Amino acid sequence: MIERGKISSLQMAIMMNPTILATILLLVPAITAKNAKQDLWISPIWASSIGFLCVFIAYQLNRLYPKETIIEYSEIILGKIFGKCLGAFYVIYYFHMTGIIVREYGEFVSGTFLNRTPLVAIIGAMMIVSAYAVNGGLEVIGRCSEIIVPVVSLLYIVICILLLKDLDFNNLFPIMENGLLPSFKGSIVPQSWFSEFILVSFLFPYLADRNKGMKWGMISVISVLVLIIITNLTTLFLFGNLTANLTYPVITAARYISIADFLEHLESIIIALWVAGTFVKITVFFYILVLGTAQLLKLSDFRPIILPMGFLVIIFGIWSAPNLQELSHFLGTTAAFYFLTVQVGIPIVLLIIAFIKEKLQKKKGSTTG
Amino acid sequence: MNLRKKLRKVNFSHTASKTLEILEETSLQEKEQSQLLNNVMENIQVLKNIYTDCSDIIFRQFLIGHQTEAVLLYIEGMSNIEEIDKSILEPLMKHEAVNLSDIQTILEEKLAVSKVTQVSTFQDIVQQVSFGNPVILIDSQVKGIAAGLAKFEKRAIEEPMAESVVRGPRDGFIETMSVNTSLLRRKIKSPKLKMRSLTIGRYSKTNVMIVYIEGLCEQSLIDEVNSRLSRIDIDGILESGYIEGFIEDNPYSPFPQLLNTERPDIAASALLEGRVVILIDETPFALIAPITLYSLFQSAEDYYQRFIIGTLIRWLRYGFLLIALLLPSAYVAILTFHQEMVPTTLLLSVAKSREDVPFPAIVEAFIMEITFEALREAGIRLPKQVGSAVSIVGALVIGQAAVSAGLVSAPMVMVVAITGIASFAIPRYNAAISFRMLRFPIMVFAGTLGLLGIMLGLLLIIIHLATLRSFGVPYLSPMAPMEGVEMKDVLIRAPWWSLKTRPRLTGYNNQFRQSNNQKPGPNKGSE
Repeated sequence: MIERGKISSLQMAIMMNPTILATILLLVPAITAKNAKQDLWISPIWASSIGFLCVFIAYQLNRLYPKETIIEYSEIILGKIFGKCLGAFYVIYYFHMTGIIVREYGEFVSGTFLNRTPLVAIIGAMMIVSAYAVNGGLEVIGRCSEIIVPVVSLLYIVICILLLKDLDFNNLFPIMENGLLPSFKGSIVPQSWFSEFILVSFLFPYLADRNKGMKWGMISVISVLVLIIITNLTTLFLFGNLTANLTYPVITAARYISIADFLEHLESIIIALWVAGTFVKITVFFYILVLGTAQLLKLSDFRPIILPMGFLVIIFGIWSAPNLQELSHFLGTTAAFYFLTVQVGIPIVLLIIAFIKEKLQKKKGSTTG
Repeated sequence: MNLRKKLRKVNFSHTASKTLEILEETSLQEKEQSQLLNNVMENIQVLKNIYTDCSDIIFRQFLIGHQTEAVLLYIEGMSNIEEIDKSILEPLMKHEAVNLSDIQTILEEKLAVSKVTQVSTFQDIVQQVSFGNPVILIDSQVKGIAAGLAKFEKRAIEEPMAESVVRGPRDGFIETMSVNTSLLRRKIKSPKLKMRSLTIGRYSKTNVMIVYIEGLCEQSLIDEVNSRLSRIDIDGILESGYIEGFIEDNPYSPFPQLLNTERPDIAASALLEGRVVILIDETPFALIAPITLYSLFQSAEDYYQRFIIGTLIRWLRYGFLLIALLLPSAYVAILTFHQEMVPTTLLLSVAKSREDVPFPAIVEAFIMEITFEALREAGIRLPKQVGSAVSIVGALVIGQAAVSAGLVSAPMVMVVAITGIASFAIPRYNAAISFRMLRFPIMVFAGTLGLLGIMLGLLLIIIHLATLRSFGVPYLSPMAPMEGVEMKDVLIRAPWWSLKTRPRLTGYNNQFRQSNNQKPGPNKGSE
């Protein structure tokens, strides 16, 4: 196996938390609010079902092929040629995906924080850090996230608490004014984020305690769900129907914090914290990209391709959209279907084919034996 | 070629000169490994040859019972001369019996020395003599006697300077191995306390001890320590730092991967947690392996004070660690990139004091921090009389003159001072210094990318720490990989009666260190 390290399923759950959460906090509350209005806190609940589904699919596939990742077992399921094609498609998809994430990060930091720093410098600095972590392998990424995620989540909740005095709880009502439909519509974009949970299919083979993988995967989905609901509720209570018009509602919310005329303008701190979470997200995606490529090309080690692929990711990041508005529009419209197809649709098809194959084989086995 | 065979060849012309010729042919090493001869004069020749130009080696030839030739050799200043005279020379020279058939009789009847060893090769003799034990060789005997009368100057047991405590034992290791082992043995009296001895160093022949408690320490760890130590091939070991450099897992890391301590109580507590202690002769510093990052922020006293106090002090240290690492860079980042974070009144006063300063904040910070490091280093190395002069000059120049000359701002001086104090709150000198050094690259990051740079710098440090291992134990454990129960000794210092288990990664063999239900209460014992 290319990756010799083992992680625990708890580490996997902790890793997956910011992998979904880091970027969903930025644009998604506003995108959800456009459709769901004051029901934007219900949308994630619908959306999370995709997360549970993804973990379930990954787990079922892993039960059939316990030592392979999706790149490897697609070759077994679909045969050599189609399998390789699908693997190559996934690698390119993750190139695109990582590029988009890196771009989101870069746009956000340069838009709110370092206005005059070139985008390449911001993205490049992060990619260097990320490459260093990927070089350490899965164990190191797991341990890093165990240090980073609890601190970041805790401070995030503290910030939500600091906002308490500005919150207007009446913004919640009327709940489901127009029935369930608006919240359903609002859930489509978060769904595409939750579908990123299919990443666990890359991590399952490296779990030391695989039997707990399903359980912790589900817990991870729930933890993401809870934090998103907290975020959406906070922005809703703070801005009401204004949420839809803001680009980064959470950061705008952080500007509201003012305690004792001293704790003010904490958005820089929030951004710094968020960067730590994004680091985990970028690293996990980058790692899976590198690992998937190495598995596709049957390399003996993934470390030599980290740096060249890192450069490519930076370029993909620059190419992925001409500007933030385009990026936000893409993520709010077509991207959802694109992500869902690749991250949910294809795995479901794979699972069905794998099941049928297994059934056929069993039948064959019973008839010949 | 074997010395003995060569000598046998020249047996017909049994002259000393011939023997010498052959001796000169053979290398020193061969000579040392060969067995003793049964002629004492030849033995003396060989030994004198080995100890050419060693004027501190004393050869004392004498007669046992007025007729048997014998020699006593020792190194001046390393043996107890009075005892030699009284317990060896006197009884042997006054010996009346003519028949001296074997050494056993002498040992049983004449030598009033409690610790004696029989030596049969020249190597053994050299070793014993260099330990300070006088060696007696007797004519027509192929064995010699080494008497345990080593006595050399040693320092008294004192409280270690670098690790002093308010409450706790005041003894410290010294440069003598036998004293150090006895200090440990006095703390842990069980025979399960094992001490394996190794000799490292081609010339220094330093005695190194692997100390562990059988049944607590995992065998694989002992084997690993043993194999790493026996791989060392160097001319001399002068301090534990030499050994540390050879056996740590990642030599390029700025972080220490072995703990060094002068305190026997810290070593004993490490032993009880299933760790291995490495004692090195001629240095008061013992090494402890494996360690985690958090053991660098623990002091022995955490366990002696009340647990609430211990917990609070631990948190104070973690806080000061962050300050020592991040304060100057945070100051630079906020003043350069994020002025909006500073409350207006504070910002105004900072801006006023920075009005005359010609440098940007990052340059100012670098000047001051480097000056501070230089002062600190000068204070350690200089003799005490000059040291106080340095601190006065430093305080005046940095504190007063630099500010009034408008070269640096007063807030910067404060930042540097707080950083300095914070770094001294880390109990381990080598850990404090690595964090102090890491603040310079983070300052560069802060000066270029602001808070984002600090965050990236921190992430780099975290990644590096996550890759580190100390003898197979992840450096960040029990935080990562996470072990909930182990937080009892990291996030807090749990009270003694609830510290029931040993750390899982080192003390897995024998998990429970105390019996259950020992929480004190008023009704205990009267039920």
